[in-house]
Amino acid sequence: MDDATCGPAPAIRAARRSDLQTLTDLRMRYLGEAAHDEPRLRLTADARARTEHALPVWMGQEDRVLVVAEAGDGDGETTHVVAYGMGYLRTAPPVLVRRHVGELLEVFVVPEFRGQGHAAAIVRVLTDALVGRGAEVLRAAVPMGHAAAQARLKKAGYVPVQVELERTLGRG
Amino acid sequence: MEGIPIRSARRGDIPSLLLLWDAMMREFVDADPRFEVHPDARAHMAASFAVWLQEPGRTVVVAEEAGRMIVGFATGVVLPGNGWQVPERLGRISDVYVAAPRRRKGIARRLAGRLLDLLYEEGVETVRLAAAVENPGARAFWNAVGWSELEVVLERPVPDPTPKV
Repeated sequence: MDDATCGPAPAIRAARRSDLQTLTDLRMRYLGEAAHDEPRLRLTADARARTEHALPVWMGQEDRVLVVAEAGDGDGETTHVVAYGMGYLRTAPPVLVRRHVGELLEVFVVPEFRGQGHAAAIVRVLTDALVGRGAEVLRAAVPMGHAAAQARLKKAGYVPVQVELERTLGRG
Repeated sequence: MEGIPIRSARRGDIPSLLLLWDAMMREFVDADPRFEVHPDARAHMAASFAVWLQEPGRTVVVAEEAGRMIVGFATGVVLPGNGWQVPERLGRISDVYVAAPRRRKGIARRLAGRLLDLLYEEGVETVRLAAAVENPGARAFWNAVGWSELEVVLERPVPDPTPKV
């Protein structure tokens, strides 16, 4: 996630079928960055094929929100998708009172477009969409070492609630 | 050191499991009100325990004192990975709880160790769990027994849309 700046609000819209190829490319870059930052989240061999298969399915799901940010290339006419975000409304079993959880799953901005407020705008749009679908609480999981993403979410009103821990056979 | 026996849970343990689960959730809510329990939670958990004791890939172990009293329990499950990040399958520990008067005797460590072994026997090499930020004792425990922190989960409440009058 990037840092917000002053200036006009970035253009965010719902993802369309015509975005699928770009979305696949952006998602693989997102997953690649996550794996670079946290090697325990490295990709499976068929991650791209699974993403190509999953994206059109996700696009048609009522409980999933998939948005993109567009930016112009300077000529005032052409725009390109430079960021995307994905959220999901999960309905948990009746264990806790708040059962309808809006999850901010992924937010990615192409590096050369960071620092222009795209991530903050996507978080706002995802948040509004998930609340509109009935979310009673919003959650996002961020790798421990990803300080920028944690700072972005804290600025948007999020506070740490849980830590995900891992243990691997033969280690520890 | 010989401790309280740890064994797989049986159907007759469900009333004790529910009592311990209630106590665990009360502690969670006391530490962090965001974990307020749903009114139907107890009935849901009674049904869940009954299913889990027979479900492949699901593991429930208990610590039994003097051959008759359950003083702790732990639950885990084997799940598929998300498909694009390793691992392809992973274990997940849902709960580890020991009744307050029986703590500091190594029971939680032995419950977690037994559960971990059973999950590894299911063929997974990676096991994950979530610990509450407002429970520093739990985080310290898991770090002390060899777990490392992977992600932080952040949360934001949704404002109540009901207008104040």
